[in-house]
Amino acid sequence: MQAKAKLYPKEAARLLREKPGVREAVTGATLHFEEGRKKAYGEIDAEALRERAKRVKDHLLTHLDHYLELAEKRLRENGVQVHWAEDPLDAHRILREVAVRHGVKRAVKAKSMLTEELGVNPLLESLGVEVFETDLGEYLIQLLGEPPSHIVGPAIHLALSDIQRLFHQRFGTPLDAPPEALAAVARKVLRDAFLTAELGISGANFLVAETGTLVLMENEGNIRLSTSLPKVHVAFVGIEKLLPRLADLALFLPLTARAATGQRLSTYVSLIQGPAKEGEEGPEEVHVVLVDHGRTALLHDPEAWEVLRCLRCGACLNACPVFRQTGGHPYGYVYSGPIGAVLDPGLLGLEEAYPLPYASTLCGACYEACPVKIPIPKLLLTWRHRAVERGLAPTWEKGAMRVFQMVMENPALYRLFSKALRGLPLPQHLLPLLRAWTEGRGPLKPSPRPFHELWKELEEEDGR
Amino acid sequence: MDARTRILSRIGHTLKERPKALLPEHPHSPPSANPLDLFLKRLAENGAEGHLLEEERARELIWELSQGHPGATYGRGVPASFRLLPQLPPEEAPLGVSWALFAVAETGTVALSSEDGRKAQLLPPVHLVLVEEGRIYPSLLEALLDLKALPSALGLHSGPSKSADIGQVMVKGVHGPGRLVVAVLQGSW
Ligand code: SF4
Repeated sequence: MQAKAKLYPKEAARLLREKPGVREAVTGATLHFEEGRKKAYGEIDAEALRERAKRVKDHLLTHLDHYLELAEKRLRENGVQVHWAEDPLDAHRILREVAVRHGVKRAVKAKSMLTEELGVNPLLESLGVEVFETDLGEYLIQLLGEPPSHIVGPAIHLALSDIQRLFHQRFGTPLDAPPEALAAVARKVLRDAFLTAELGISGANFLVAETGTLVLMENEGNIRLSTSLPKVHVAFVGIEKLLPRLADLALFLPLTARAATGQRLSTYVSLIQGPAKEGEEGPEEVHVVLVDHGRTALLHDPEAWEVLRCLRCGACLNACPVFRQTGGHPYGYVYSGPIGAVLDPGLLGLEEAYPLPYASTLCGACYEACPVKIPIPKLLLTWRHRAVERGLAPTWEKGAMRVFQMVMENPALYRLFSKALRGLPLPQHLLPLLRAWTEGRGPLKPSPRPFHELWKELEEEDGR
Repeated sequence: MDARTRILSRIGHTLKERPKALLPEHPHSPPSANPLDLFLKRLAENGAEGHLLEEERARELIWELSQGHPGATYGRGVPASFRLLPQLPPEEAPLGVSWALFAVAETGTVALSSEDGRKAQLLPPVHLVLVEEGRIYPSLLEALLDLKALPSALGLHSGPSKSADIGQVMVKGVHGPGRLVVAVLQGSW
């Protein structure tokens, strides 16, 4: 996917202006997810399980080379063909080779953010392969030609009426068709695709090193179908997605489901060992592509490496008051919301992702939600700090901060300034920092009396 | 140098200076009472139907579920005594009957092996799973620690296929079965 992260502030403002319905749809959906997560965390000792999950992932990441080699060995023993890809070009070469060898005309895809990173769909289309996204939400946005708006709910920005209109134009369904009727139409189209496709493509939620098991979570059944019916299955797996032991799934499957959708376990979990055995239904070939695409560089970063624990559950998106305003599109890259704001600079380079670390209120809700305790607020500040150091943040910000610090540290100056601010009409439209704030809100109104005076009065009233 | 060597050597280089994190042990699960009740309760909460049945009642259930239809599709492990209706191709069958490897109480889950046959588990609109009472584990951890060998694909099913992708309204049976019925078989098999 072409990154457009630099345009974040403009895109967010445009979306809020031109598509007011998006805010409503995204806020409704994320609040619903967030409520589910809170309830599901409440049933368990979430703090202890998050700490445990963090420690398992930290162990994995500090022994990553060992576990990658072990996983590769086990996969091969299971009859899986293992490939390594440093970048999208490698991944394309591997996929092209498989598609051409099998004369693939149709492919069914199970939702995967990594394949968005790699641009798998455009590649297949350029080879003349018809690609079907089979997750219902992903299918909707494929019909619209849009990228996913949320890691878990790719179409949460669409209202029912948007989808009714889309299906009316595409399939001639009535404009007031209920969700069941629309789902039935999609089911029919996609069922036909499952039964005729030669290639199934997926990502992976986990890859267990001990047993070489690919693990995929979902609720619809499209992943089980995509990895069962076509004769070839290709799975793209980020190298950070490993888990040491099979029994670690007993911790990670429920914790991820609780964080993502508030379920105790997702409806379908597929544990895939390899191609079908003699006389069994299932793919004849299974390929696993282990993908770097910036992950080893992130691992090398002494601060930012912690984002590699991420399970892509989307909980931080649902908890984020900034994400709720616009959904994922303005972030301009595959990963949006709080995790996008700290992962994208690492994957794309800070220059390409510059304003994203600022797309946050630093309220800390993302950290509270995260099942592997990624310190997102701390990492946001790390990236902001680096942006200032590299001269990406506007210089007036640095200067303004220096003046602010001076004033705050000197009581006499502070009093003088606060008096002046109350007395003078604020030239709000002239100050760039204030302009950004006041554009979407009312003008700033200073309190008629300073805080320290009010405080003194209170103290006197208390007789202290 | 190929991609594999380059990736692994970069990681090795980075990790040389990193303090290593320890791998926590698996927790001890407390010994639990009969997991059957919890299993049936969790199945219901997941939107599935569960019953504890004697063989004869299980056979009646198959008749009920297949009412008015000419046949069903069966997993390989389903005993002959439950193959009451003529076998149909899974693409056409209104009912799929499978034999589960095991079940998990805490999550309301049945585990289905690819050796049983995947199409019967996924294509028909109604899915009946038969599972022996003695194969219900209290927790996922106990089930996974006990797994000796994995089939080429193991499916953990915890309810009917569902999606809320259309306007946040829950729709069942989107791709997989819209109805999941589990018959826990009394006694040993
Ligand atoms: S950062 Fe944490 S909360 Fe956000 S998607 Fe990743 S694992 Fe989930």
